[in-house]
Amino acid sequence: MHISEGILNPPIWLTGYAATAVIAGLTMRKLDMEEVPKISVITAVFFIASLIKIPLGPASIHLILNGLVGIVLGKRAFAAIMLGIILQAIIFGHGGITVIGINTLMLGGGALVAYFVWQQRYRFNIKRREFVFGAIAGAIGTVTSGTILASVLMLTGEEFTTIAETVLIAHIPIMLIEAAVVGASAEFLQKTKPEVLAGNKSTVST
Amino acid sequence: MALDIDRYHAVVSLVNQWDPRIKIAALGVLIFAIALVKTLPVAVVAFALAVFLIWLTALPFHFVSHGLSFVLIFLVPFFIIMPLSYPGESAFTILGVGFAWEGFRLAALIFLKAISIVMVTYSIFGSSRFDVSMFALQKLKCPKVVVQMLLFTYRYTFVFLDEMKRMHTSMSARGFVPRTNMRTMNVFGHFVGTLLIRSFERTDRVYKAMLSKGYQGDLHVLVTFESRPSDFIKAGIAILIAVTLVAIDLSGNFNQAVIGWY
Repeated sequence: MHISEGILNPPIWLTGYAATAVIAGLTMRKLDMEEVPKISVITAVFFIASLIKIPLGPASIHLILNGLVGIVLGKRAFAAIMLGIILQAIIFGHGGITVIGINTLMLGGGALVAYFVWQQRYRFNIKRREFVFGAIAGAIGTVTSGTILASVLMLTGEEFTTIAETVLIAHIPIMLIEAAVVGASAEFLQKTKPEVLAGNKSTVST
Repeated sequence: MALDIDRYHAVVSLVNQWDPRIKIAALGVLIFAIALVKTLPVAVVAFALAVFLIWLTALPFHFVSHGLSFVLIFLVPFFIIMPLSYPGESAFTILGVGFAWEGFRLAALIFLKAISIVMVTYSIFGSSRFDVSMFALQKLKCPKVVVQMLLFTYRYTFVFLDEMKRMHTSMSARGFVPRTNMRTMNVFGHFVGTLLIRSFERTDRVYKAMLSKGYQGDLHVLVTFESRPSDFIKAGIAILIAVTLVAIDLSGNFNQAVIGWY
């Protein structure tokens, strides 16, 4: 999911760049040297995991996984997604150079919201907590990004209204699949290597 | 999937022999100029220029067209949705839905601009080794941390892609067939989790090895940049073209889209 080159008008993509610069600056403050490889690893995994196709009836969809990036990297997720978007623009021409800002804002914003949701998990004492909160975080990450995407299209002009609506509807199945996959991933990581997850209080879970 | 954008970096061409720092800066200006275009005739000229630039870069046609095909998949629906959903007068109706030429023109504009910009991007990053491009970015005041992470990520991408293929093979060997059900989602969730952990541990070992060899966050490369007068002449031509494109576009000699586009 991304906005392609050539659709948005300059005020919007310039605003995207400005907002991304500010948020990236804020979320990358006090970056430790040791975090650099960790962020790069997650970016690379995020990058290639988006190549995984999941069948959906006769068609198939690609995983987005920005929610998972959020729950693994916390606030550093924004930087990771920015790198992923830059690489996609350079290597694939997916998205594009001018829309790096807007695309980062869209997916990175979703990741930050997912992280916020994920952090609320200790307030609830429920069964399979990691699965439930992973799933909610995955769904909300997708929904946030889809909403940002649709709003940006609407802002561009009324002739994009139909496309914006189509985009929102198309996000419903993606949201459900993301929720299931991210939930399963979060639970698996909690069982296998909990220190990978962001803000994990429990050191040993088994 | 062509992930190695710099596969043909060694092909000798005018663009290949351009100092990467100046190349990125000058063609970057061209990209932003194309992004500003809002009239169709100028977009056609920009497209022709981008094709010419690819020819100057001497990149094989199949390499570029393979890359462009991913962009095409995303852009083709615009030609269907835009004319049929464009507000205002429609030229004629298809199956009860109005077809507006204005919408078609907007779709064509988006298409030409997007394709042109991607071709210029290919020309920039396809003509130097990836690490050289990144080092040039650092010289252009791109934050050091960002450049390092881009390099790490680029390197890891290939390693993890192999890992993912191996895992996929072993899944298929055990008879896993993806379907639309909860089990598939669960399996993919664990798949991503496993990929993450394996990648993580591998990187941890690599990082420790790097530390023990004295890594302190600096990049030492055997590349030195040297700019010759011809580099600046090429940059001058590129920027002149960029300025001319925007100037003709703004001169008002051509029609702009009526609604919404500014």
